Amino acid sequence: MSLIKQLWLTIGILLLLAFGGSLFIGVSTSRAYIEQEVSIKNADNANALALTMSQMPKDPVTLELLIAAQFDTGHYRRIVLRDPAGEIIEQRRAGEAIDDVPAWFVDLVRFEVPPGQAVVQDGWRQFGTLTLESQHSFAYRSLWRSSLELVGWFALAGAISLLLAWWIVRTIRRPLSNVVEQALHIGDRRFTTIPAPRTRELREVVMAMNQLSAAVRDMLGEESQKLDLLRRRLQHDNVTGVLKREAFLSQLQIHLESQDSRASGTLALVRLARLAEVNERLGHRDTDALLNELATGLDQFGKVLGGGVVGRLNGSDFGLLLPDAHDLEQLRHELGKRLAALREHRQVSIGLPAALVDYAQGNRVNELLASLDGALSTAETRGNQSLVIAQGSQRRSLFNSHDEWRSALRGAMAKGIYLAHYPVLNEKGELLHFESPSRLRLNSEWQPAGVFMPWISRLELDSQLDLAVIDEAVRDMTQRGKPLGINLSAASIQDARFVIELQARLKARPDVAERLWLEIPESMAIHDLASFRSLCRVLQPLGCKLGLEHVGAEFTRIADLQDLGLAYLKIDGSLVKGIDQSAEQQTILRGMATLCHSLGILAIGEGTENLAEARMLFELGLDGATGPGIRQHDKPTQ
Amino acid sequence: MSLPHLRTLDSPGRRRFLAGLGGLGLAIGLGLGPASVGANLSPERLRRSMQAQYGASGLASLEAWFALLERLRPAGLETRLREVNDFFNRRIRWLDDIDIWGQEDYWATPLETLGRGQGDCEDYSIAKYITLKELGVPGDELRMIYVKARIGRSGITQAHMVLGYYETPASDPLVLDNLQPSITRGSLRDDLDPLFSFNSSGLWAGGSTQSRADPVARLSRWRRAIDRMQEQGFI
Repeated sequence: MSLIKQLWLTIGILLLLAFGGSLFIGVSTSRAYIEQEVSIKNADNANALALTMSQMPKDPVTLELLIAAQFDTGHYRRIVLRDPAGEIIEQRRAGEAIDDVPAWFVDLVRFEVPPGQAVVQDGWRQFGTLTLESQHSFAYRSLWRSSLELVGWFALAGAISLLLAWWIVRTIRRPLSNVVEQALHIGDRRFTTIPAPRTRELREVVMAMNQLSAAVRDMLGEESQKLDLLRRRLQHDNVTGVLKREAFLSQLQIHLESQDSRASGTLALVRLARLAEVNERLGHRDTDALLNELATGLDQFGKVLGGGVVGRLNGSDFGLLLPDAHDLEQLRHELGKRLAALREHRQVSIGLPAALVDYAQGNRVNELLASLDGALSTAETRGNQSLVIAQGSQRRSLFNSHDEWRSALRGAMAKGIYLAHYPVLNEKGELLHFESPSRLRLNSEWQPAGVFMPWISRLELDSQLDLAVIDEAVRDMTQRGKPLGINLSAASIQDARFVIELQARLKARPDVAERLWLEIPESMAIHDLASFRSLCRVLQPLGCKLGLEHVGAEFTRIADLQDLGLAYLKIDGSLVKGIDQSAEQQTILRGMATLCHSLGILAIGEGTENLAEARMLFELGLDGATGPGIRQHDKPTQ
Repeated sequence: MSLPHLRTLDSPGRRRFLAGLGGLGLAIGLGLGPASVGANLSPERLRRSMQAQYGASGLASLEAWFALLERLRPAGLETRLREVNDFFNRRIRWLDDIDIWGQEDYWATPLETLGRGQGDCEDYSIAKYITLKELGVPGDELRMIYVKARIGRSGITQAHMVLGYYETPASDPLVLDNLQPSITRGSLRDDLDPLFSFNSSGLWAGGSTQSRADPVARLSRWRRAIDRMQEQGFI
């Protein structure tokens, strides 16, 4: 039984008890009092009348007049004068006048009032006995009315009590349901905290649970920091803190192979010219500081553009990977400004030549680096601060103008989106879901995302495309019944209208929603945490799984995200690549998997190259793997 | 000596309170039958009351009263009336209430009258009434009568009370008086002018005044006296 019902029942019983008691005591007290009063009145009036009669002549007329006068002017039911033998000499009687009181009530209280009796004296002789009964029907009425008032009062008191109880329960129930929700979250290993309610008992519980959550979060934070330290030692240059050459190149490779918007963008190479000379003049330590400053500047530049990756390729060369950045001229201008700022106010003049090249899906790392090297040499010869745009591999653009792109993309979206199916499998080879990057049919060919994504974001068609993808996914899942993983773009999750549309679509199809896996890149989630949080809050109740992809660099932030109820993480390929060979990588991944599991999050490895890597991932405790190593290629059909 | 005044109840508040108490008592004790007014004498209690209030002399009078009761039990009605009348007329000295009790009109119980050895006219009548009832004379046949008495030949009249014995309600009563020691018919008493009579029969006629603790009883002088008698062990 619910709390409110129990309270209501208790109040009802208490009120009934109080009411019954009051009514009983009230009525019986009044009844006794009235009986007593009336009987006293009977006795006194009988004596008074008898006294008068004793003094008067006893002729019938006088007697009748006396009795009539008393009866007519008073409130009597009956006055009888009997002679000593019991014969009636004179009498007057009237009926009861109880009109407006229910009969059952009269029967219930029914007064029993003894009549007053007195003897009329005639000299020494007793002349007769006078019996007198007063009218007491008024008493029924007043008793009935007071009972009604009591009923009314208790009804009012009852109503107020019930209202009060309802209000109390309501004020208790809200924080209580919050507590319950928190407890459920903790059961799901989401260590949320909630504001402490005012009710003391509840507040203690909430504070204890908040403390637990905070303790767990701290623990997770420490753990992830340790893992991050390991990862940094493995992947990052210890002087500048940016990626080492191998790690950077593997990132580049992953970008080039990816199926989404990362697959095209810009790659830059920045060189600290004449490093040996600078080193000689500044000394080792200041040189390191200079390198560090340069790396930090580039890193900030990449972060500002979103998703930028910086790596130190050798002593003096830094690579800067800017996915999804396509306007080379603009980039050259901005990078030039930043590099110029770095060169200012130096004791020694330093040269920071740079080269830029655009890349696209299918480019080869070696070719890209070679053309950058060539361009950089040109830049070095031109001067300290020159930036050269290298000639990318010859690539024909599908369309020539914005308008052509726009109409082509709109047309393609209208005609239909094709979703590729790349399986994500668990240890037993069972399907977790299909990764399903979208393809659009442009110029009579199915084009991968890397081709059209830059134009989609340039033309701000992100949410339109994402909604179209969701629609296609819903259709696909309805048809095949297999779970699908869909990437959402950063622009979409910032778009409130998109989120509402998405929510409406998923609400309409709860069966589909629970098989849908939605993911966004880690860097995007961290970049715009507020949008991601609100997305999570909206979509969580619908049953779909939310996850992050390409998780690596920002793994330490996972502890901050644990209360969002993430369902899964896809660990970046750069940490997976060569896992079967590298003990350090194995340590990191094992730790990440453990941490994920302690939060109730699935850990999935991205970009496995071969079966050995996949096997190692499962051995380390990861829940799933994807990539060419286990991929059953699913070519787009015409 | 004066006629008893019917005093009104003190105040409505008090009345309600008393009534409430009475009602409570009633609610609790519903169904208790009225106490019978027959021979219900409790000698031990009477002795204790007398000893406590008037000591040895009072106790002696009480023992004499007990002896009278014993003696008269087998006797006929006429003897009983005469002996009882004589017993109190001889033993009790007539005095006004104001001198005995320090108050205008006090209705003493037989125990108080015997204990003091003095009494007012109604004290004689009450004592005789109770004694005769104790001897088994039906209460209906005994009535206390308010009379106007002419003292001697002076023509001075005084309020007075006598006990009348009625063979039948309509008959001429035998008058037990302390002014004139012999019992005579009422019609022969030229010096007395009857006004009104009462006895205790009406008091217990109904069902609502049966309780000894009934506070309303205290409000009537006659009933207060009856109440005290019950407490002392007479009835």
